[in-house]
Amino acid sequence: MINRSLFIFILLCFIIPFAVLLYLSVSSEWYYPSLADHQFTAEHWRWFLSGGSTLMQSAVLSILLSVSVGFVSTVCGFFVSRAVAYQTKSKWWLLTAYFPYVIAPVVFAVMLNFYFLRFNLTGTIYGVIIAQFFITFPYAVLFFFGFWNSKIRNLENLVATMGGDFKVTLKEAILPSAKGLLAVCFFQTYLISWFEYGLTQFIGVGKVQTLTVMVYRYISEANPYLAALAGFLLVIPPLILLISNRRFLLHKVWST
Amino acid sequence: MIQVNDLSISFGDEPVLREINFSLEENKTLSVLGKSGCGKTTLLKSIAGIQTKYSGAVEIDGEQVDHLRPQERGVVYLYQEPLLFPHLNVEQNIGFGLKIRKTDPAVIRQKVDKMIQQLHLEGQEKKMPDQLSGGQKQRVAFGRAFIIHPKVLLLDEPFGSLDSDTRKEMQNLFIEISNTEKITTIFVTHDLKEALLTGDFFGMMHNGKLNIFENRDAFINNADTGVKEELKFWTNLTNKHVKQ
Repeated sequence: MINRSLFIFILLCFIIPFAVLLYLSVSSEWYYPSLADHQFTAEHWRWFLSGGSTLMQSAVLSILLSVSVGFVSTVCGFFVSRAVAYQTKSKWWLLTAYFPYVIAPVVFAVMLNFYFLRFNLTGTIYGVIIAQFFITFPYAVLFFFGFWNSKIRNLENLVATMGGDFKVTLKEAILPSAKGLLAVCFFQTYLISWFEYGLTQFIGVGKVQTLTVMVYRYISEANPYLAALAGFLLVIPPLILLISNRRFLLHKVWST
Repeated sequence: MIQVNDLSISFGDEPVLREINFSLEENKTLSVLGKSGCGKTTLLKSIAGIQTKYSGAVEIDGEQVDHLRPQERGVVYLYQEPLLFPHLNVEQNIGFGLKIRKTDPAVIRQKVDKMIQQLHLEGQEKKMPDQLSGGQKQRVAFGRAFIIHPKVLLLDEPFGSLDSDTRKEMQNLFIEISNTEKITTIFVTHDLKEALLTGDFFGMMHNGKLNIFENRDAFINNADTGVKEELKFWTNLTNKHVKQ
């Protein structure tokens, strides 16, 4: 009975914030503290789904941007972490991966900005992708570093002595062992990119309007209905990824 | 046939292998006895081409292989751990080496079936590695290596992690399969009885040096191998038992 009540309580804790966002996105003329004594409208959603809205463009841009950042970071992080792990001086290389995290994101953005201005990347989508990559790539390297243990190394050697080249080793031995980790890393780097605000705003100079940037914009414009709609849209893709990857996220991913 | 000439390795200032010299006839097994850290694994890794920073020469079937990558040497190195592919079932694991050689699927099927019989793994074909016992996993690892018929098979304490009964069973299975398949094998172990059971020729490693014995008697009579000590222990124990 207690377990059931606790489960319902936790479930409500998760559901209520989403419900509030959805509720506000179909509200208009809402004034505190009234809960239901106001008008409801589908106008915000109709505007969003009309196709030409800036919010729809932001949603599409955010998905493409985060998928790109997540994919590139995961792939690069996977192979670079292998190279680092197999280096005799790997700890020094690994130390450099912590660099973006020991300084404040805004300071990091200021440090990057000089180079981005010089290479005309400021205010462009490519610029934002590269800037976010500087955060997610070291994360992926640190994430995969532990995977390259002696067991994986021995497995690689075994396949080599059996006649397999690196392509065979990768396809037949490494990737099947790492697929859970790859899915989780993609999910994590996708999320980092998806919710990234400071660096995106600084490098994007307001021209690259991701969904996260739009949420802040609507809040600063004191438009709670569109902010709620954008906020609701912001949680949908991570939720879909979470559900589709639950097999890897909820089980032991260090499958070797 | 394998021939090793003046093989030496140092890690920094520390010599790990010191001028190793030996040759082994085709289809014979050399048992190498030695304690942990004496350089047995480094010796096998050098022969396999996994460890490349060595001086000296390794010849396999008359060809010098020092410049060849592990996949080109025709030497399979088996670890103490079975290292089965977790996503492949028993028959797929056994047929792995043939598959990457792009062998005809019908031939793979035939060879895998035969190997499964030799390994006494009938009925286990579709099982995944996590459904197998330690001994069964090691059998699959053996089958996976034997099926591709390497020029040289290197076994690095393959039964080290098994319990005594399974270990005994695996030793007999190894003798049985190596007699049928006829593969030149170097069998490294720290178990005296295992060395005596599995080998045609015998060697002992100590501090990076390999001492090869002329024959079984020389191995048994050498004070360093510990055979005499072992015999003395059992004789004393038996005598004591008789007196009582």
